[in-house]
Amino acid sequence: MVKSDVYPSPLPPAWQWVGERGLRVETGAATLAYYESLVSQKLDEIEDVIPADGSLLVVLRYGGGVSAALRATLNTPVMEPPSLTGTLHVISAEFGGGAGPDLSELAARARMDKSTYISNCSAVEYRVDFLGFQPGFPYLSGLPEVLQVPRRKTPRGCVDAGSIAIGGRYAGIYPAAGPGGWQIIGRTSSILFDASRDPPALFLPGDRIRFVPL
Amino acid sequence: MMEVLHAGLCDLVMGAARPGFGALGVPAGGASDPAALAAANALVGNIAAAAGLEITLAGPTLRFPRGATVALTGAPFMATRSCGAPVAWNETLVLAPAETLTIGRVESGCRCWLAVQGGLVVPEVLGSYSAFPPAGFGGYMGRALQAGDVLAVGAQTGEVHVLRATPPAFGSMRSPLRVVAGPQARGFEDAGLVSFFSKPYQITAATDRRGLRLAGPAVAYARGELPSQGVLPGTIQVPPDGQPIILGWDGPVTGGYPVIAVVVTADRARLAQLKPGDTLRFVTLEVERARALASAAWIIEELA
Repeated sequence: MVKSDVYPSPLPPAWQWVGERGLRVETGAATLAYYESLVSQKLDEIEDVIPADGSLLVVLRYGGGVSAALRATLNTPVMEPPSLTGTLHVISAEFGGGAGPDLSELAARARMDKSTYISNCSAVEYRVDFLGFQPGFPYLSGLPEVLQVPRRKTPRGCVDAGSIAIGGRYAGIYPAAGPGGWQIIGRTSSILFDASRDPPALFLPGDRIRFVPL
Repeated sequence: MMEVLHAGLCDLVMGAARPGFGALGVPAGGASDPAALAAANALVGNIAAAAGLEITLAGPTLRFPRGATVALTGAPFMATRSCGAPVAWNETLVLAPAETLTIGRVESGCRCWLAVQGGLVVPEVLGSYSAFPPAGFGGYMGRALQAGDVLAVGAQTGEVHVLRATPPAFGSMRSPLRVVAGPQARGFEDAGLVSFFSKPYQITAATDRRGLRLAGPAVAYARGELPSQGVLPGTIQVPPDGQPIILGWDGPVTGGYPVIAVVVTADRARLAQLKPGDTLRFVTLEVERARALASAAWIIEELA
């Protein structure tokens, strides 16, 4: 397995079958570089490529096999991570109060007053590592360690659309209202996913995000 | 035109899947048995990807003011026509103007598909007509049909060939569901693995197109928390309570629970016919054998 702490590695990524149509490729810190490389090759047998936390899922068309070109890519050592070239989004957000019902508790836990906690949240630039859970839901890396906190023991039945939340080492934003187990610290009025827009998701893998408290 | 007089439990407009948006968090979705919807479309002279209805457990009452050529495939439901003629499955049906088609409760299985000549007219969203209710887009207004809805039907060819479709031999619904061992299968405790591959599991009520939740012997994962990984429909995840979840067609594209097994594509049509209360067992196949399983084809022929 390629781990980010031993990066760069001279080894090709390890991969495993997920059913007979999926290939789980261990890509570590180079997940987005691998993603871009695979997508740009437009290989016929690939139906989709889904980046996740340190791995990619390559979905093959039904009946398709692993071509020589795909095999060659899978045998290529993990590349340099791409320089951060994704779009920078500046997101206005309301923190705490009704918009962020868990913020007070999290601030107390981190031994900060609320305004220090909020400035810690908005001082850093986050990166969209991947999207999942709901269409357009970004998994944001870059959360300072002092702000990392486990998910709630009992998920909420309904979280507002636009809620900014923390789950483990990731921050995220809920595009649509629905059940959710992350700790809610704030809310934005930005529309994260609109199927009639092109591209439908506001954030793409590799994009960067800064929060500006309202 | 198709009027919904009474809605069923969950009538969704479905066409082809919309693969290719996984990186944006959008699952491929589409009809849960694409071959059955394609066969219904073939029976009315439509292209395979035309929009029809996916009907679950209890169906709608539909009125066709100008008549229609329709076909039903999939699980048999109780069904009647206002003209009194029988409602045959897997055959072209010609409905007279103002006829009403009432689809009642399922007799066995879970889902059927209705195609209408010309196709249901709904906007194409991200390359597909299929509804995706969790995010409220696709299909008819991104949701299940409701009483009072009126759907447009595409231009009819006027030509009607009365056809019959023969579904592929499905294998018995009682035979175990074939799976390939998952990427984390080795991380489960032995006792749980043995249970999973030998004991029956029951489908629980908390089951829909996003996932089929199972109840049975608990399966314990012996290792720590896992980073989120990409998942597919048919992926069987095990959350900390040890009760497996089979991800469905509208499930998430990434998941943080360990994956014990993945249902082979050739058996995915069987997943579409499982309903709460049903029991199932699993049997493993090597990847190579799973890849060699051809998805059996429907046969369409002219009715003499």
